[in-house]
Amino acid sequence: MTAPPSKTPNALLHGALDALILKTLVRGPSHGYAIARFLEDATSESVLIEDGSLYPALYRLERKGWVEAEWGTSELGRRAKLYRITEPGRTQLARETAVWRQFSAGVSKVLFA
Amino acid sequence: MAAIFGRRLEGSVRLIRRSLRSWLWRVPVEQEVEEEIALHLELRTRELVARGVDAKSAREQALQRMGDLRTMKRELVELSKRRDREMRITTWLEELRDDVAFAFRQLRGAPGFTLIAVTTLALGIGANSAIFALVDATLLRPLPFGDPGRIVAIHETSAQTNRGGASPNNMHAWNTRNRSFERIAGYTPGVGGMVMAGVDGNAETVTRQWVSAGIFDVLGVKAIAGRTFLQSDDEQRSRVVVMSETFWRSRFNSDPGVIGREIRLDGSMWTVVGVVPGNFQLVGQSSIWGMRPIVGAPERARGAYVFAAVGRLKPGVTMNAAEADLANVARGLAQEYPTTNAGRGIALEPLHDAIIGGDLRMTSMMFLGVVGFVLLICCANVANLLLARATARTRELAVRAALGAGRRRIIRQLLTESMVLSILGGSLGAAVGAFIISLAPSLIPEGLIPPTVALAFDLRVVSFCASAALLVGLLFGIAPAWQATSFSSAEVMGSDTRTTTGGGGKLRGLLVMGEVATAVLLLFGAGLLLRSLIAVDSFDRGYRAESVLTMLVDPLGSKYPTPELLQQFFDQVEGEVRATPGVADVGWTSSLPLAFFEDGPLSYEVVGEAPVEDSRRPSTESQAVSPAYFSTIDLPIVAGRAFDSRDIRGAVPVAIVNEAFAKALGGRSPIGLQVALRPASAPQAEPVVREIVGVARQVKGRPDEAQDLIQLYAPIAQALSDDVYMVVRPKSGEATALVAGVRAAVSRIDKEQLVSLRDVVTLADIDRVATGRHRFRAVMVACFAALALVLAMVGVFGILAYSVQQRVRDLGVRRALGATTSDVVKLVVSSAARVIAGGAAIGLILSAIVSRLIVTVLFGVQPLDFATFAGVTAVMVIAAAASMAGPALRAAKVDPAAALRVK
Repeated sequence: MTAPPSKTPNALLHGALDALILKTLVRGPSHGYAIARFLEDATSESVLIEDGSLYPALYRLERKGWVEAEWGTSELGRRAKLYRITEPGRTQLARETAVWRQFSAGVSKVLFA
Repeated sequence: MAAIFGRRLEGSVRLIRRSLRSWLWRVPVEQEVEEEIALHLELRTRELVARGVDAKSAREQALQRMGDLRTMKRELVELSKRRDREMRITTWLEELRDDVAFAFRQLRGAPGFTLIAVTTLALGIGANSAIFALVDATLLRPLPFGDPGRIVAIHETSAQTNRGGASPNNMHAWNTRNRSFERIAGYTPGVGGMVMAGVDGNAETVTRQWVSAGIFDVLGVKAIAGRTFLQSDDEQRSRVVVMSETFWRSRFNSDPGVIGREIRLDGSMWTVVGVVPGNFQLVGQSSIWGMRPIVGAPERARGAYVFAAVGRLKPGVTMNAAEADLANVARGLAQEYPTTNAGRGIALEPLHDAIIGGDLRMTSMMFLGVVGFVLLICCANVANLLLARATARTRELAVRAALGAGRRRIIRQLLTESMVLSILGGSLGAAVGAFIISLAPSLIPEGLIPPTVALAFDLRVVSFCASAALLVGLLFGIAPAWQATSFSSAEVMGSDTRTTTGGGGKLRGLLVMGEVATAVLLLFGAGLLLRSLIAVDSFDRGYRAESVLTMLVDPLGSKYPTPELLQQFFDQVEGEVRATPGVADVGWTSSLPLAFFEDGPLSYEVVGEAPVEDSRRPSTESQAVSPAYFSTIDLPIVAGRAFDSRDIRGAVPVAIVNEAFAKALGGRSPIGLQVALRPASAPQAEPVVREIVGVARQVKGRPDEAQDLIQLYAPIAQALSDDVYMVVRPKSGEATALVAGVRAAVSRIDKEQLVSLRDVVTLADIDRVATGRHRFRAVMVACFAALALVLAMVGVFGILAYSVQQRVRDLGVRRALGATTSDVVKLVVSSAARVIAGGAAIGLILSAIVSRLIVTVLFGVQPLDFATFAGVTAVMVIAAAASMAGPALRAAKVDPAAALRVK
């Protein structure tokens, strides 16, 4: 389960989405829509995440045990599936963050030379 | 897996939550996904509307951001299902781990129970694995030959036998005229000895079996050095031999140079052409195989049925088709050679059946049935122990149930305990089995298992142990688990433990009844086999001497080239041995009672009667003996005279016949009749005519032979062979005490030690070998039956002791109210007695039905033998009394006051 030191671009983007979701959940449990909204606000909508890819990502994270879900109540008083980051999820987030830092530093080195 | 367990602790809360969802709530994942996405869409639409988009296009935009909704939902459902499945496996594994750990704690907490249960299972499974090895080796495993399914035994049939041997000429004819076989070959059923001259001048006897050239091809055995026999060896009538690997290694140090070398066997030179693997054996352990030509055998050999024939079928040819084909060939031969072949047919049999034989098959199956029953009793006993424990643990289990453990969960936990027990028992049982199998060679009577089958503790036996353990674990675990959970928690927790035993008691009673029935069945079988053994042991052998020393005397080499010199040698040895202190009598014979006849059978005709066609002449076993033979083994001459000093070489040839021979002559007095004798294998040979001078008492050839053997004795002086047995009777005591003296006497006659004394045994030893199978079966089954009886009685003791313990207060009250000791004992014993009586009755009825199955291995006793019925009942009564005595005594000693103080 240890991340390889470098990744293919595809895996990188996948990892980035995972990392963004995990990072969002560090702030506290949220349901899917709240996660989407937070990411839109936080990136000033500069990173567009399709709602259609958010949920598969969440389910994958749940299956890997990085987040766990439980049914709670949403703002509207409706039943909502709330996601919460787990301890392995936090470890994974740290790992993805490191990978991303390395990647973006590399890209920046070229682009801003 | 490591990662799953690694995260175990911090994940345990999550685990429970998830398993709750997947196990209890059972919300379909489809519905979950639907709900989650619907909420998302609604919230997104609301947000857009709040930003000023009109309701309809807001909804559309929200949907658009989702992409292909249906595909996505399907993907989510798929992911959820997979996740739940993984969760379940993880949960299951963790529960299993907890259950196993818990089971071990429980078993450690009750060491006495664990010890008894594991030992019981180990004995049961161990005995079963050993017997399985026997059954596997004899019945299940194919013979260790290439493509064994295509090898068949070929018997010549005649009016006398339907499993007769084949003559070399007939075998050769079959080979050239059939269309169904790749090859037909043969071997002589007996293994003989040949004297091999060593380089250092020391001669030694090696075991040798005769075979025809094609035998190794038919059996699919390849040489590991050199070659096997070729058709050209047969055509050139070469003197060639093949060695066994074992002999090659031990005697020639695996020297490849021995191939092609000539060795001196029985005075002639034979060429060693090859070595075959160690596992190649046919009917006797042999060191070398000598080739006997069948091509161009002299015509007089057509009636010599000396070979056991085997053939390898061509691919795709069925045994029936081959039989029809060969029968056709046989009909042709009958027309061409009517004197020898008229009325002779063909019968085929799979080689496996021919080698294993009905006796061994029956023995194996019987043992398997017996140990299977023993294992069932073991199961019942362990189940009983578990039931007793479960009753004692009712409260614990009820508390756990009340705390939320499902019934299914508790059953699983109890079953895990049973499984742990059975796996422990199975592992120990495998060790017990390995031990028994290592002892087996010394236990199994000689000749019961042909050398082609090897008894081994191998992977197959281990996997048998494993399957037996699992099956047994389920078998004895399921009843206690079921019973332990069939109660309502409230009822149990609110009540006193000792009142919750009713249902369990009934079940335990039934189990013990089954045990008793099974034990009775096995006792009955053992009884029948013991009666057979006694019958075989006490049969009238014909001769009265008990302890007679027998030794094969083999005057080696060419020191006594003429019959006169040989006779002189035998006479001198006899005189010297007779003078040895302690020797009462000395005789010579060419074969021993209860052993095989060394000389082949003779055909006979009464001189002066109408001649009989060759193939229809009656035959007799023959034996050459010295005058003192009859007195040495104390065999009475019932009519006429014994041989004496008149019956020497050159005098009138005489014979003594046995009672069956006399009867076959049809009431005439045999004394004075002349019979013309020829080897049955050579009907054309010039006959020897002998005058019958006496009738000897019937001697059994085999203790359980069905027909009286027809036998003829000739004076050894008139039928000299150079391999004879010396029989020596001591004045008193054990014959074996004479060995040293007799050896010394022989060496005084031949100081150069050229005489080899082999096979030093006593007649009692020969008796033992001849009755070995009966003894083996009887002893084995008796051991198992005894084990079964002990186990069943332990079961009886168990329920009785337990019920007394549970009823101490009840009994105390009765005593206090005036019940006498005998009232109390009667009360306690009556229920157990009912169980035993019921079980015994069932067992006896079963015995009456089942005993018919083993009728073929019985001798001198009927399957419904009254004495056996009575004996088993008596044993049962004694055993029952013994097992009930302890608990009854305990019940009798119950002190009213003390009993009332017991909580």
